[in-house]
Amino acid sequence: MKVLVVDDFATMRKIIKNVLKQINIENVLEAENGKHALTVLKNDTVDLIISDWIMPEMTGIEFLKACKADETIKKIPFIMVTAEAQKDNIMEAIKSGVDNYIVKPFTPDKLREAIDKAKAKVGK
Amino acid sequence: MDVKYINPFIMATQSVFKTMLAIDVNLNKPVLKTERKTTGDVTGIMGLVGDRKGTITISFSEKGAMFVYQTLIGDECSSVTPDVVDAIGELTNIISGQARKEFEKAGINLKASIPMVVVGQAVVMNFVTTIPIMQLPFDFELKNGDKEVMFLDFSFE
Repeated sequence: MKVLVVDDFATMRKIIKNVLKQINIENVLEAENGKHALTVLKNDTVDLIISDWIMPEMTGIEFLKACKADETIKKIPFIMVTAEAQKDNIMEAIKSGVDNYIVKPFTPDKLREAIDKAKAKVGK
Repeated sequence: MDVKYINPFIMATQSVFKTMLAIDVNLNKPVLKTERKTTGDVTGIMGLVGDRKGTITISFSEKGAMFVYQTLIGDECSSVTPDVVDAIGELTNIISGQARKEFEKAGINLKASIPMVVVGQAVVMNFVTTIPIMQLPFDFELKNGDKEVMFLDFSFE
């Protein structure tokens, strides 16, 4: 499985990569915001997107909307990561078509569970 | 200090260490600090505003900060590099986020600033408030069995 991790903070990308490694997912691409991620997706195929919420240039929610509006990538399971477990944010993501969300902090097991649910939602 | 201000930080710290680092932390006796200075060598700082205003800091020794980095990221390090500093910033952000979630349950809504990290001992801090600073010392065990302490300082009004 190839995963695209989108976060403006390099350390958080490394943390997520380390958690992914613990569930045996080591094929990871990185992008530092939604705009950069869309460029990555034009040149590469991934099986899952894990995106932060607050990022410069293109936020996680803008990136999510762009993905779900694009026929070529809309079926890629999309997981939103947020540190702020605020219902308004989560509701907005759900309305925008997010396949699952996960609130920091999370364990490898929680991430595995979130990935499985996101994949099931898009029928993968 | 009202216990409703203390519990969210205790719960957040224990939860974040358990989930992100797979480590149990033990809370030692809280103390009221008289000096407005950082305690450890590497300190994450986060301002909070909303229904209350204040600041929290999360402070580690160099050894403790490097251990957190190694456990969070899975890389080795032998000194406090910019990556270690960033990791402490992110840990501060996550603990703060979890604490805000606990505060929200108690009807107190807070927003956080971007975390900052200072490196150095006894750095003078402005906690925004005029009331004393509460310090929560949490100890945890390194892989070699040594004990380290993380100091969570906060002041709210």
